[in-house]
Amino acid sequence: MNKTVQLSVVIPVLKRTDDLAELYAGYEGALEAIGLSYETIFVVDGGGENAFSELKQIAAANDKVSIVRLAKFFGESVVLSAGFDQARGDLILTLPAYNQVEPESIVNLVETLDACDLAIGRRWPRAGGAFEAMRRKSFHFLLKLLSGEQYNDLGCGVRLFKRKITDEIQLYGDQHRFFPVLANRQGFKVQEVDVKQSPKDEFRGRYRLREYLHRLLDIVTVFFLVRFTKKPLRFFGMVGSLASALGAVVVLTLVIQRMLFGMALADRPALLLGSLLLVLGVQIFALGLIGELIIFTHAGSMKEYTVAEIFSVEHSSGSGSGGDGD
Amino acid sequence: MFLSIVVPLYNEEESVAAMHDAIDSAMSGFERTYEILFVDDGSRDRTFELARELAKNDPNLRVVRFRRNYGQTPAMAAGIDLAQGDVIVTMDGDLQNDPRDIQNLVEHLDKGYDIVVGWRHNRQDKLITRKIPSMIANWIIGKITGVPIKDNGCSLKAYRANVIKNIPLYSDMHRFIPAMASLAGSRVAEVKVRHHARQFGESKYGLGRIYKVLVDLLSVKTIVSFSNRPILWFTLLSLPFLFISVACIVASILEMTAGNGMPVPLAGTGVLFGSLSIVLILNGALAELVYKTGDVDFSILARLTMSTSDQVASSDSDNAS
Repeated sequence: MNKTVQLSVVIPVLKRTDDLAELYAGYEGALEAIGLSYETIFVVDGGGENAFSELKQIAAANDKVSIVRLAKFFGESVVLSAGFDQARGDLILTLPAYNQVEPESIVNLVETLDACDLAIGRRWPRAGGAFEAMRRKSFHFLLKLLSGEQYNDLGCGVRLFKRKITDEIQLYGDQHRFFPVLANRQGFKVQEVDVKQSPKDEFRGRYRLREYLHRLLDIVTVFFLVRFTKKPLRFFGMVGSLASALGAVVVLTLVIQRMLFGMALADRPALLLGSLLLVLGVQIFALGLIGELIIFTHAGSMKEYTVAEIFSVEHSSGSGSGGDGD
Repeated sequence: MFLSIVVPLYNEEESVAAMHDAIDSAMSGFERTYEILFVDDGSRDRTFELARELAKNDPNLRVVRFRRNYGQTPAMAAGIDLAQGDVIVTMDGDLQNDPRDIQNLVEHLDKGYDIVVGWRHNRQDKLITRKIPSMIANWIIGKITGVPIKDNGCSLKAYRANVIKNIPLYSDMHRFIPAMASLAGSRVAEVKVRHHARQFGESKYGLGRIYKVLVDLLSVKTIVSFSNRPILWFTLLSLPFLFISVACIVASILEMTAGNGMPVPLAGTGVLFGSLSIVLILNGALAELVYKTGDVDFSILARLTMSTSDQVASSDSDNAS
């Protein structure tokens, strides 16, 4: 087991799985074709009894395969992180545990990685109905609107990247989907690569309203993380001043009507609405201020920049090496 | 005394060599050991390659490269973090600042100031788009922070390393360093510096939008006010709302005693604003908690200042410009 490997393949096994033996046979052929030494790590989320026993058979027959099983249900982000922790290669490839892409197109990503740090698959050409396409388009459009980055298929589980990315990015919650966005924010180069969609990759089940809400909240979270982490008041201030401005307009209108036209002020319900909005706005603003204080008091431990390289000629005093300034 | 000169560079391939020469010749007439830190803020042109060539022949020059473009404040913060000098000078990489002014700035630090800020008194920029907005911004910043500096936007500044390294620098905060430094009661001097028109390229770091400056200003004001008087600042904020609340409630009681029945919207408004002021005060308590758990130690800053201002009690009247 202590042979060096260049490529670690992480396959998160969650609820949705296909026949793993058949699937892995397909992947194996493609991985051999790449020509790098590799290992495969299956990470099974809590519960997956059947998948685990299937995997044990695969692992028994193949010494490149190892299995990590989580004690309880944690979700895809944690499953992936557990896999990354086990990975020994300098390159990490994630693959879905079901037929999503044709294995032979995985090699496309390897070719691209020379020019970037993270290559993500994009299933293209894409099967599926018009409604599916619209749903997908609007998700990515919204993301582009908020993060300013264009992606076309964040649902694709095929991603190949350099190890150093996982050292800097901690995935939690539902953020595995937005891994490219977060990586880009850390200054890594991300590139989409067309991969062939598997004919068996069809959408199963249906998205419920809850799913849509989750996606929406995810996008908002990522938006906040990317744009305002260091400046919460810019975000809260925007929402807060909008609410207060609206409230102020209502209240002012009422007051002017009282002053100029003698309409009674005290028993008009609109007054309540106006002051409620004002109060809401001020409270949101105050939240933003607290956020600023949190950032300020912790700014010392959060570096905003990532240094790629420090160059200086070594000179005799030895102080020119420019170690990390802590 | 060891001097660190921090220069953020962003797409400055035309100026980087000239910049290095200018600093070199300015420092040759000034007997101090020094280092130069060029911080390449993710330039897309050949800035880093050129700077690295310069560094090969100059043991005093270190070049730091960011993985991507982060902005001017992070670039300065990186330079300051990596600087090894007792005195840190920051300046723009576009040749608009003149390295010959470094000497003057550092001499003012020797007189006992903690921060010396450059003032571009004959600024060579467009009047309408650059100078007037910045005049307004400087006036507002001065009024609100209580540190009346004529030119907050000038990058040419000199700091004592132990002061600047204790001030958290992030986002666009470099504009407010003097105000932040006043947290610790640092002594700030303002010195006239030369300013040249841009020789190459476009101005890369504009004044930013008014909204950003205003919002940042409010944050800085909160941070600064809060540091010495916990809760008071939030209580102060809540006072106008408390006043409105009391006025509304009194008015509705008067209506009631006059026999007109209770005016529900007015009384409700009173209650709303009353609750707002209570929430604000509680926010103040929360903010104090945040300070307690944070890693900015204000007592360290205060002690620092005491020791530096003790040395220089006499030179107080020496006002620059």
